[in-house]
Amino acid sequence: MGYRAKLFLKGSPFETSETDALFLSAMKENCNYQYLHCIEYKKILDGLGITPEAIRSFNQLSDFPVVPTLLFKHHNIFSMSKKRMLIRATSSGTRGKKSEIGFEFSGLLFGASMVYKIAAWRHLLSLRPCNYVIFGYKPHRGNTAAVTKTAYGSTFFAPAIRRKFAILYQDGKYGADIENIVEQIIELSRSMFPVRFMGFPAYTYFALKIMDEKGIHLKLKKGSKIMLGGGWKNHYSEKVDKETFYRLAERVLGIQDIDIIEFFGAVEHPILYCDCRYHHFHIPRYGRALIRDVDTLEPLSYGQVGLLNLLTPMVYATPILSVMTDDLAVLREGETCPCGNKSAYIEIVGRVGLHDIKTCAAGAENLIKEALK
Amino acid sequence: MILEKGRRVEVSRQDDILKRMPEDICITLEQGYIDVEIVVSALDRLSQKIASGAYDHRIAELVSSRADTYKNQAVRMMCRENIEFKVRTELGEDFFAPARTRPPLGESTIQVQPMPLGVLLHIAAGNMDGLPAFSLIEGLLSGNINILKLPQADNGLSIEIIAGLVEIEPRLGDYIYVFDTPSSDIATIKTLSLMADGIVIWGGEAAVSAVRQMAPVGVKLIEWGHKLSFAYISGYEDQDRELQSLADHIIKTDQILCSSCQTIFLDTEDMGEVHRFCERFLPILEESCQKNQSESLGIRADKTLRQHFENINRFLTGNDNSDGAFYQGAGCSLSAQTDSAPELSNMFGHVRVKRLPSKNIVSALRPYKTVLQTAGLICLPEKRESLSLALLRSGVVRVTRGGSMSELFSGEAHDGEYPLRRYVRITNIE
Repeated sequence: MGYRAKLFLKGSPFETSETDALFLSAMKENCNYQYLHCIEYKKILDGLGITPEAIRSFNQLSDFPVVPTLLFKHHNIFSMSKKRMLIRATSSGTRGKKSEIGFEFSGLLFGASMVYKIAAWRHLLSLRPCNYVIFGYKPHRGNTAAVTKTAYGSTFFAPAIRRKFAILYQDGKYGADIENIVEQIIELSRSMFPVRFMGFPAYTYFALKIMDEKGIHLKLKKGSKIMLGGGWKNHYSEKVDKETFYRLAERVLGIQDIDIIEFFGAVEHPILYCDCRYHHFHIPRYGRALIRDVDTLEPLSYGQVGLLNLLTPMVYATPILSVMTDDLAVLREGETCPCGNKSAYIEIVGRVGLHDIKTCAAGAENLIKEALK
Repeated sequence: MILEKGRRVEVSRQDDILKRMPEDICITLEQGYIDVEIVVSALDRLSQKIASGAYDHRIAELVSSRADTYKNQAVRMMCRENIEFKVRTELGEDFFAPARTRPPLGESTIQVQPMPLGVLLHIAAGNMDGLPAFSLIEGLLSGNINILKLPQADNGLSIEIIAGLVEIEPRLGDYIYVFDTPSSDIATIKTLSLMADGIVIWGGEAAVSAVRQMAPVGVKLIEWGHKLSFAYISGYEDQDRELQSLADHIIKTDQILCSSCQTIFLDTEDMGEVHRFCERFLPILEESCQKNQSESLGIRADKTLRQHFENINRFLTGNDNSDGAFYQGAGCSLSAQTDSAPELSNMFGHVRVKRLPSKNIVSALRPYKTVLQTAGLICLPEKRESLSLALLRSGVVRVTRGGSMSELFSGEAHDGEYPLRRYVRITNIE
C-alpha cells in the first residue's frame, strides 16, 4: 500500500500530528510522480532548484514549490492522459478565468473515503431519509463548477426523498427563485422527515431573513441540518455575523447551532474542511496548512496573519500538492478549542487586495437581488 | 446605490427610475443646458470643502497611505482658477457663444452654435480612485446631462464626491444620474445607452468592444482605452536624483495607471549596458519599495502573490530572450530583455529593461502607436528636444521627465485630445 493510500484509507481523520511522517512521505511520493509525468511541474522544480529527495524532514514541508492557484487559471496543467482523468472540475471564477483541475480514479476514491470519514465524525451520515433544499445551482450539463458537484454530492449523506434547488437553469442562464423555495420549505416542514439545507451562506441567510420578515417560523423535524459551503471566502467581511445567523436559523427553522455545519474546500485543494461543534476548521490528516509572511512568504507560527498555503498529496492528475490561496489566515493551536480535537485549526481573516474580490457567493448575492426586484 | 436628482435611491427601484428617465431627460433638455458657470462655482465650493477637511475621514479610509497627496490633488484640480483654465484651454474663450460665419466670395452665411452633445453615458474604469467622478465632471463642464455607470471595483469615493457636489448645488441634480449596475447587466446598460448622445468608455479592449457591440448605431463613442507608457534614458542630468524619482514613480503608482512606466528603454545596442543598468537600478527600486510599503496586509499580500505568480509562471512560459536575465529584489524585480517592444510589465514593482538606440525609436515603436501614451524622458538637456520629437512621431502623445510620468499638468490633453472637445458638437442655424 502506498503512502497516500495509508494516509487516506487508514486511521481516523484528525490524527494529524501523528501522521506527519506519513504525510511527508506521501507528499514526496506525489512530487516524484509529478517530476516524471508533468512537464510544467518539472520546469518549476528545476527552475527553483528543488529535488524531492532533498526534502527529508517534516519541517521542510514548506520547500515543496507553492503553486499559486492563479497558475491553473493561466495554464491547463495535467500529469496524466485525459482518458485517465475521471473528472475535470473548474473553480467558480467569477472574474472570467477559471482553473481546471483533473482528478484520477484513485484520487477520487481516496477523496470519497475522506468525505465518508469526516461526515461520520460530524454525524452527518444517516439512514433516515430526508428532504434536501439546496441553496445553490441545480446541476446541468454545462456546469462543471465544483461547488455544484459538491452541493449535489452532499445530498447523499442521508437518503434523499426530494431535492429542491434555489438556483435553477432556465432560458440559458441561472436565476434565483427565493419566493418559490420558501414555499417549498413550508411544504417540506409538514413532512414527517427531516430537512437538510445545503448551499452558499449568502443564499441561506437571505431565504431565512425573508421567512423571518414574513413571520414564517417553522419547527423542522429532529435531525434537520444546515450545511454551508462554497462561500467561506466572503465570511471574513462578516456581511452576515455568524451568531446572528445561528439565532435566525433557530428562530425560523428550529435548527440549533450544533446542527449548522460549515464546509470549506477549493477545487485546487479538494480536502474537505468541516467545522467542529465550535465552528472551527481543524486540519484533518489528509492535508496541512502553512501560513506565510505577506512580504517574504516565509512560514509563520501560530497566531500570525499571513497567506494561506494548503498542502495535500490526494491528487495525481494535476500537481496541486502545495497551493497558495489568496486568503489571509491565522493558524491556532488545537488545544485552544474546547471541542477536544487536538489538531490545529484555520481561521480565515481576509483576502488579498484592496477591494473585495467577487467570489461565486458574492455573484450569487447579485442573483438574489435581481430575483427580488 | 443609485443617485437620481441628488437623492440616493436603493437599487431595487432601478426599474422605476429607468422607466421615467427618458421623459425626465426630455424635460431637462427642454429647459436648456446647464450653465458652465454653475458647474465651476459648485466645483470651487467643493474644492474648499475638501480643503477644510470635510472629506478627510473618507479619503483616509480609502487611500490611507497617500491621503494627503490625493486630497491636495483634488483640491487643486477643482478650484475655480484651475477649472476655468481647463475650460479655456480646451474650448477657448466663450466657446458656446453663437457666431456668424463670414465666408469669402459672397458665399451665404450661417450661424455657428457650439452645443453640448446632450446626454453622455460614462462607463468608467476602476483602476484610479475618483476617476469616474472626474469623467462626470468633464461631462458637466461641457454642459451635458450625465449618466455614470460606476465600475464594480469602485470604493465609494466617486459617489461621495458627486453627491457632495449636488448637495452644494442642487441645480446640478437634473444633470446627474449615477448607477452602480454591474457590467454583466447588459440589459440596463443597453437601456441607458439608448438615452445617450455619446458614450464615454474607460477601460481595456474587452470593455470597449463590448460597448461597441451594444451601442445603438450612430451614437458617438468616446473611447479612453488602456494605454502603455515607458521611460527612455539617454544620459543623465543628475543620475542619482533622476533614477530615484523614476523608482519612486514606479513604486508609488504600482504601475497600474496608463501613464505608469512599464518598460525602461536605454539608448544603446549593447546588452552589457542593459545588465549594468539593472544592477545599478535594482537597489534604488528596492529602497523605494521599502520606503513606500503599504500598511495594509491585504495589499502587501496581493503584491507578493502577484510577484510569486510571475516568478513561477516564468518557468512555464520560458524566456525567449536568450541573453536576458531576471533580477529579483525585495518586493521588486527587473527583467533585462533583448527585444525593443514596449510591453506591459508584471506591475507592482516589476519593470522590463530593454535596449532601443535612438535612431530606431520611430521604427521600433510605430507598431504600437495605438496604445502608446507617456514617455518619461531622462536625457542630456541638449538631446531633449530631438528625442521628444522622435518619441512623439512614433505615436507617443505625452513626454515628461522620468519621475513625473503620472503627474497631472493643468491644461494638458488626455491621450492626445482635449476631452471637453469630444463632448460637444457644432450646430448651425441659418
